[in-house]
Amino acid sequence: MLAVFSLLLVYSSIVTLAYKHHGGNTAYYLFRHGIFLGLGFVLMYVTHKMKYSYFSRIAQLLLYASVPLLLLTLLIGSNLNNASRWLTIPVINQSFQTSDLAKLGLIMYTARMLWLKKEILHNFRQAFVPIIIPVGVVCALILPANFSTAAVLFSACMVLMFIGGIPIKHFLSLVPVGVVALSMIFLIAQFAPQVFPRAETWKKRVERYVGDKNAEDIAGNYQVAQAKIAISNGGILGRGPGNSTQRAFLPHPYSDFIYAIVLEEYGALGGVFILLLYIVLFFRTIKMSTKTDKPFPQLLAIGISFLMVFQALINMGVAVNLLPVTGQPLPLMSMGGTSTWFTCIGLGIILSVSRGIDLENNTKTKLDDYAIA
Amino acid sequence: MSKQQKLIRRVYPIYMLLILFGLGILFKIGQVQFIEGDHWQELAKSYSTKHRKIDAIRGNIYASDGSLIATSVPKYEVRFDLNAEAITNELFAKHIDSLCLELSLLLPEKAKNEWKSELTQARKNGARYHLIRRKLSYTQIKKMRQFPIFSRGKYKGGFISIQQNKREKPFQVLASRTIGYSRDNSKPVGLEGAYNKILSGTQGLQLMQKIAGGIWMPIEDENEIEPEDGSDIITTIDINIQDVAENALLEQLIKQDADHGCVVLMEVATGEVKAIANLNKTKNGGYWETYNYAVGESTEPGSTFKLASLIAALEDGYIDLDDSVETGNGMYKFYDQKMYDSRIGGYGKITIKRAFEVSSNIAVARTINENYRNNPQKFIDRLYKMNLHQKLGIEIYGEGEPRIKSANDPTWSGISLPWISHGYEVSLTPLQILAFYNAVANDGKMVKPRFVKEIRKIGKPIKIFGPEVINPAICSKATIEKAKAMLEGVVQQGTATNLKNANFKIAGKTGTAQIYNAKTGYKNDKQVSYQASFVGYFPANKPMYSCIVVVNAPSKNVYYGNLVAGPIFKEIADKVYATSIQLHEEIKNTAQFAERTPIPVSKNGNRYDLNKVYSELKVPSLQNGENATWVAASAGRDKVTLYKRVFKVGIIPNFIGMDLKDAIYIIENMGLKADFTGKGIIKEQTPNAGTKVENFDRVKLILT
Repeated sequence: MLAVFSLLLVYSSIVTLAYKHHGGNTAYYLFRHGIFLGLGFVLMYVTHKMKYSYFSRIAQLLLYASVPLLLLTLLIGSNLNNASRWLTIPVINQSFQTSDLAKLGLIMYTARMLWLKKEILHNFRQAFVPIIIPVGVVCALILPANFSTAAVLFSACMVLMFIGGIPIKHFLSLVPVGVVALSMIFLIAQFAPQVFPRAETWKKRVERYVGDKNAEDIAGNYQVAQAKIAISNGGILGRGPGNSTQRAFLPHPYSDFIYAIVLEEYGALGGVFILLLYIVLFFRTIKMSTKTDKPFPQLLAIGISFLMVFQALINMGVAVNLLPVTGQPLPLMSMGGTSTWFTCIGLGIILSVSRGIDLENNTKTKLDDYAIA
Repeated sequence: MSKQQKLIRRVYPIYMLLILFGLGILFKIGQVQFIEGDHWQELAKSYSTKHRKIDAIRGNIYASDGSLIATSVPKYEVRFDLNAEAITNELFAKHIDSLCLELSLLLPEKAKNEWKSELTQARKNGARYHLIRRKLSYTQIKKMRQFPIFSRGKYKGGFISIQQNKREKPFQVLASRTIGYSRDNSKPVGLEGAYNKILSGTQGLQLMQKIAGGIWMPIEDENEIEPEDGSDIITTIDINIQDVAENALLEQLIKQDADHGCVVLMEVATGEVKAIANLNKTKNGGYWETYNYAVGESTEPGSTFKLASLIAALEDGYIDLDDSVETGNGMYKFYDQKMYDSRIGGYGKITIKRAFEVSSNIAVARTINENYRNNPQKFIDRLYKMNLHQKLGIEIYGEGEPRIKSANDPTWSGISLPWISHGYEVSLTPLQILAFYNAVANDGKMVKPRFVKEIRKIGKPIKIFGPEVINPAICSKATIEKAKAMLEGVVQQGTATNLKNANFKIAGKTGTAQIYNAKTGYKNDKQVSYQASFVGYFPANKPMYSCIVVVNAPSKNVYYGNLVAGPIFKEIADKVYATSIQLHEEIKNTAQFAERTPIPVSKNGNRYDLNKVYSELKVPSLQNGENATWVAASAGRDKVTLYKRVFKVGIIPNFIGMDLKDAIYIIENMGLKADFTGKGIIKEQTPNAGTKVENFDRVKLILT
């Protein structure tokens, strides 16, 4: 599994190199990205050495820490395109997206709760409600600044709860709540736009997505049009590393639309390969978790893995215009400082689970997993 | 165990969903590539990009006193992105009237309604790069930025301004060829060419994108590579001397109806070129700088070369100034070639010094021929030692090649030596001859003519150029003294007595050379064409400046160097001398002037300023009463008395007797504006002194 990750990493650096070398300061960006990845690796290694049972505690801490941080971000965070997503850590002067921290925390916490309440999962009041409340709170806090992250996270938690064994009928109870919540957002956005400064953007993006396809070459659907040109440029085999022309037109070619650049430079084959890597990552996680019967490590690994893969698929979906435009980075590939670190920590947790399971089952399949790893 | 199985069971549908999602992505890729491919490729073509070069601001070229002689003036082109996303119909409708009104006021070539219909139509047509106007000045563009809609900026207001730089020479023709220019695909000219790299700075780059209609628009607001502005160059040109030189040359060229001419004035000790003028007749009969003759035109110098010949012979000890030489009756034959002196009948037997003064060809030719006949290369080597065969190596491109052939050159003949000795069969540029004469004036030290003093960046000197010595001694001190004596003799009692001046002495040499034409020989249109020149330095006893004047092909039958080139030299020398106080000898008997110095009439004004003037000029003054800032001055028999001037808040003071600078200072400090007519001292004012300020906002002043 490690091999898979490092491949991803190498890949990522090549791409980063490729599209950045046209401007000045290439070396700077590459160097910075390299440092982020290096540190990410260290974080991953450290995390993977930890016993997975600790994560249960840490989950609680992370969650409790992330709620005030998210609040703080909303209030004083630096504002990019009307979205306050970033908080600058004093001293080291590195800004980071608090939602990344919250994501990890929430998934871990949900896994923990599912494990703690494994005997009473059928009890709506004692299991479902206590689990759903933190999920709701965190997602609600992320939502004003970053709708898509909130949605992805919420879905991931739902999936995790579903896998964890919450009865399906319980989920149905969320439907009316969801409808009410969404209409409230809609109403607030209509009458008090300052609360959701991004509402206008969301509306536009969705409208464009469902709107007339022929309007794509007009400035409004600029991003999508540019991404599609990139994909069409790539063909089956691609133009070769560093030959992208569309990187100049696409906003955030190094994060939100990186997949379009991958398709342009490495063609459909490269694109499929990347897609497969993510699918395999999820598959490996499932395989691994079948080797244990402890629910916490299982849920933890699957939850994190699902979040990552889901996010990756959404990113790709956006790039190929399967979904409306939204700013989900492609985990590990996109250039974006701290989110890489959190991804690495996430991977570290998965690896730690894998290691833990192996230690427990060291009678048999010891060779199995590490061989592939 | 059941727990685990249940979990596994539940994870697979999720996995399936993800795979489906992945397949969806694949499908989409396929769709875009194979079904919609052509459409996107088509679109891609229309979106092509290029890097636009952004020129850095080119450095300025200054005269030595800091006057600007070449500068870049920014001009702007303004375009309007009428269909910028942020310009909504509502916004457009609301502001179009006021925008068009402002436009019609600033650019009155179109009335408000014309602007409105033009812009409305353009918006309808989808214009994104509509031209408003080219060649706008910075102040105009600054105003435009305040206009409705435009004030919202580039993206929200569609206001696009593109800067272009135009090179301008504020002094027009003055030294224009030496300042030169630098253009793509043409040879660099003058200082602009020579210092192109320093002046031009580093180009920036901006990524431009082609949008509908083949129009290029910048993609991002910031540049990918920021341009770095060029450095400034401070030349050695003195704009006043340059002006005098250019005018004197022009006047004489017109008078003589000459083809072309040039003047170079150089500072003896440093080699700094203070003035360099080149004029030639244009097709329509006027004169303009189109070629740098002083630098580029290498011709047979004629008589001015005699100095070099005689210095060689003096240096080798073959002759002395008082040795006599027989010039005969004005004609002498070297083999079958006849040589003439300009005076019909000849000069007879004269001294070497006299021969130089009257510019006897025969005397010089015989002296050189007889002394070096057996070893002509020795003579040539002497000339080479004086660096006469080498280019000066100046920074301006296109310096003419000096030519002094060696004795074993295939074209060397029996008459080469006598002819070279008086300036034929050799060729030099005016600047090269000047550098040689300058070396004589500079006691034998030959310095390189320089055009640039300093390179500056943002006002700070980054490189300062000093004198460059080509040859520390072209010959011995004793020979230099003899050479100087001969040159002074030329003006005092020789061919250039018309240059004599009571105030200071000029030393120099006339030259009248026949111009050799490759096709017709020395005759052109059956008439001999001449080049008249004068080269020398002044003041003769303490040389400060050297100067050369060359006038080519004067056609009014006057061709002698003293008559054609001499007057230009004299006019320049007189002007330069008159304005260079450091050249003047001290007036010795000051007592007779100082005896009855009247106390000067003094203006009213600032006490500090006035006192400074008084103490500088040693004028006795009486400080009356308090230490007021503003005082009235009254000149008495033996001193100036200062009285306090009182200014009351809110009351217009008395300005009469003040100068304008002080008055405006006071008026503007009171918050009023001043209008004035005339020059000198204020003699009338409205409103009158003592009126209350609050009723007025302007003060009118009439000056004497």
